[in-house]
Amino acid sequence: MSTDTLTDADLDISHLTDRPWITLVWDDPVNQMSYVVYVFVKIFSFSQERAHELMMQVHNEGRAVVANGSREEMERAVQSLHEHGLWATLQRDDVA
Amino acid sequence: MSEFVRDGDIYSLDLTLDEAQILINVVEQLLELLGEGSFNHHYDESDPFAQLMAQLKAAPDEIVTPEDPVLLRLLPNAYADPEAASDFRRYTEPTLRGKKERALLEVRQALEIIVDENRDGVVADLDCDTWLMAINDLRIALSVRLEITPDSFDLFESLPDTDPQKAIFAVYFWLGWLQTSLLNAISR
Repeated sequence: MSTDTLTDADLDISHLTDRPWITLVWDDPVNQMSYVVYVFVKIFSFSQERAHELMMQVHNEGRAVVANGSREEMERAVQSLHEHGLWATLQRDDVA
Repeated sequence: MSEFVRDGDIYSLDLTLDEAQILINVVEQLLELLGEGSFNHHYDESDPFAQLMAQLKAAPDEIVTPEDPVLLRLLPNAYADPEAASDFRRYTEPTLRGKKERALLEVRQALEIIVDENRDGVVADLDCDTWLMAINDLRIALSVRLEITPDSFDLFESLPDTDPQKAIFAVYFWLGWLQTSLLNAISR
């Protein structure tokens, strides 16, 4: 058994924890702006302003990150967005 | 044109017989595409909508990524990675499909009363979330078949009235109008 002092690297347990995941909503030519805002408010309890801002980001940039959290939380969010007909995916937050 | 009306917490929709017939036809065709066809449908097989919707009907025995582009858009992949997407689909797709079917079946049930009485009628005390979900799924289904782009409204307006596609485009845009009417009623 080694008696060496543990290094910072040994103590780094971040690889054992769930890294943050994100939910992306993608632009499509079908869903109406007012409907997308309605769905964002309903699912994520955003203010009208925040929902509108994210909807415009989807529209102008082709996609927007609408939520982040654990993988399970993001899977529930994506499932709920799919129920409402929005085109959503989740992935690890390694974009930033 | 018919629009949704709100009185307190009660929502209703007046429909002409023609409108109810058009709606029930697309509802039934989408239900059949989703694999829930356990009813006597009201549409004629030669109806251009029926022919449009009925492409690639065979439902697979196991849960796999749908081949039909309408189903793939209504039941999309949750992950870009194919393996993760297919794992997720295996345990979530039946729930998603079931929710969409239940919304469409509820809408169908309300429309059936009007269509079977063969006259204009009212859908009274409707559930707005159910109707929003169903109308949106119908719009999505038609949009995939019609290959809707941001320029489609100009194309629609330029089509001659004799073009059979024109009527289907008209239904697509009418559904968008109905959806806006319901959202306006909710936010009023």
